[in-house]
Amino acid sequence: MHKKIPSGTTALAVVALLALMAGSAVAQSSSTATGVSRLMNPALSLNALMLGQTSADVDGAVANGADLQEAEVQFTAIVDPFWQADVIVTFEPGEGDAFEAGIEQAVIESLSMPSGLALRLGKFFLPFGKHAQLHTHMYPFVHAPLAQTATLGDAPADVGAELGWTVPLPWWSDLLVYAVDGRTEFHDAESSDPACGARWSNLWDASEQATLELGFSGLTGPAADPAVQGARRVFGADLTYKWVSGVRSQGPALTAQAELFLPDADGLEGDPLGLNGLLQYRFQRQWWLGLGADLARDVRIDPLCAEPSADAALGEWREYKANLTFVPSEFSALRFELSYREETETGVEDLRFAVQANFTIGSHPAHTY
Amino acid sequence: MRKNIRFLTAVLPALLLAGLYGAPAQAELKVVATLSDLGGIARAVGGDDVAVDILCPGPSDPHFLPAKPSLARKVAGADLLIYNGLELEVGWLPQLIRKSRNPKVRPGARGELDCSRALTRILELPEGTVDRSQGDVHPLGNPHYTLDPRNAAAVAALVADRLGELDPARADAYAARAADFAARLEAALPEWRRLTERAAAYPLIVYHRHWTYLTEWLNLDPVGEIEHRPGIQPSPRHVQELIEQGRGLGSLIVVCATWDEVEIAEEVANRLEVPMVVLPGYSGALPGTEAYVDFIRTICERLAAAAATLDAGAGS
Repeated sequence: MHKKIPSGTTALAVVALLALMAGSAVAQSSSTATGVSRLMNPALSLNALMLGQTSADVDGAVANGADLQEAEVQFTAIVDPFWQADVIVTFEPGEGDAFEAGIEQAVIESLSMPSGLALRLGKFFLPFGKHAQLHTHMYPFVHAPLAQTATLGDAPADVGAELGWTVPLPWWSDLLVYAVDGRTEFHDAESSDPACGARWSNLWDASEQATLELGFSGLTGPAADPAVQGARRVFGADLTYKWVSGVRSQGPALTAQAELFLPDADGLEGDPLGLNGLLQYRFQRQWWLGLGADLARDVRIDPLCAEPSADAALGEWREYKANLTFVPSEFSALRFELSYREETETGVEDLRFAVQANFTIGSHPAHTY
Repeated sequence: MRKNIRFLTAVLPALLLAGLYGAPAQAELKVVATLSDLGGIARAVGGDDVAVDILCPGPSDPHFLPAKPSLARKVAGADLLIYNGLELEVGWLPQLIRKSRNPKVRPGARGELDCSRALTRILELPEGTVDRSQGDVHPLGNPHYTLDPRNAAAVAALVADRLGELDPARADAYAARAADFAARLEAALPEWRRLTERAAAYPLIVYHRHWTYLTEWLNLDPVGEIEHRPGIQPSPRHVQELIEQGRGLGSLIVVCATWDEVEIAEEVANRLEVPMVVLPGYSGALPGTEAYVDFIRTICERLAAAAATLDAGAGS
């Protein structure tokens, strides 16, 4: 749920937050009397994504022009001996010059559970597949893959509890089970039934420099689609190969990934399926090349905004993407991307060129592997 | 086809779970070290009483180690996690600790040890404002302190203390091995200084400010860096300026680590017509440098060889 606020207010709010939180601890000796201390402040960072894009088919355009794609403010801190907290506030373009503010994540994670267990409580990204758990500035392409958005949602996050367990296997193996309120875009937010899911991921060292990861995900919950009787289920599988040079600092690196999404429900039309594949290659210290392909079959996508819509016709969509990203440091990146999207039945197509700039300031936690 | 895919997504997890088996037998105390230098010190101090695992292999740059979950699995089984500190591992260690779900090694627990606490002096502590216009600067000071063997001896004593706390029955053995390790280093110091005496006569151009503790200990003379700013790829203009600066200095030695962009260092050396030496950044970065003592000796020998080349050129 986003609350619309004027853009100017958004900017002021962000600046005020930064001003409030940033800076080293000033003389703390008087804090006993003043009660003003920065010693326990959370780590704070801001990431902003600017996006300019142009489409060869204006009818199918998402939005030609330039805009702030997203700004994200992250707070991270140890709460007490038992919990660590992460809160992420996002600002995205709304109607006109307004921005929409939202809580993307507000979660506490246990610090001291035994036996490889961990508990998360709050609002978090649902652990389904690989891409759905990424924050926008970590996307390998400008937008989330159609295969995911059409079957699972753009960035499915929900409020609930998640229990993680490191399975004692000879390789790294992680099992997550969760129950959430059930308010993602494919779920019926009015229903009193929760949504439940699980993810099991396994990773092997293929060599000292390479890993192979295999994951399985499942999610079930009350369906938002009135044509569906009972629960809507999605099953997924993902396979990722990563190689990073272990002998050259920021040297060549390669990621190859495939994800499968299989929605399933009584009363679901057609035989829906999402399939996504990508290849990322760092060919020079500051340069990445990305290639991606997407298939979303028997899904309802609004051709105007490329987002799921119950009013859209059932169809099969394909998307192909290529990008070149310049990464001068860990804290900034400039991406050039060409993408082509088509609906195979009606012939709707969209050729798009996008430029995306990305920067991070402050103390941003390291990203997951 | 669809049924087959569903069948596979159901059966594959079951097959993987079927591989479940008990954990192998372990030594009494399991130590995980972030860096190979620290791992070597832990092995020297712990002897056969500990099993040591290393997260960042010697040939890898510890600034940019990928936080592989398989490394978190190592941390998950640790009784003691020893790390370099001074934010060297900040890009990956917090992720690994979090993913390990091992409360024993969380910050503040007895099972975590920041080895920089052994230092009596931290070099290159930034003065004034620190921001990222200065590159990937370490705000707590230069973290590559194990390049000074005197610091390695201090770290060994710190590790022995902590091992003794965790395993009081063997505390004396740990302390004795740490003292022995320090004595071996102390005995080797004069030889290492003698080896590098001639290298101290020539200015050094280094790729990255990795070698500060080494140059300070051996009275070497670093006069410039190929990396204009730490962690940022050098621009052609900076390289050109550095070469012009180098021409004014006469004979010098270009130094880089195995993981640096050796081609750029080579270009600088070739254009200046001076020797370039590739050094192991941490123990194990080159064959034959797995033991800490061999690692330091190799560095000294390579610097000595470069200086000998210059001496020979001057004499001819």
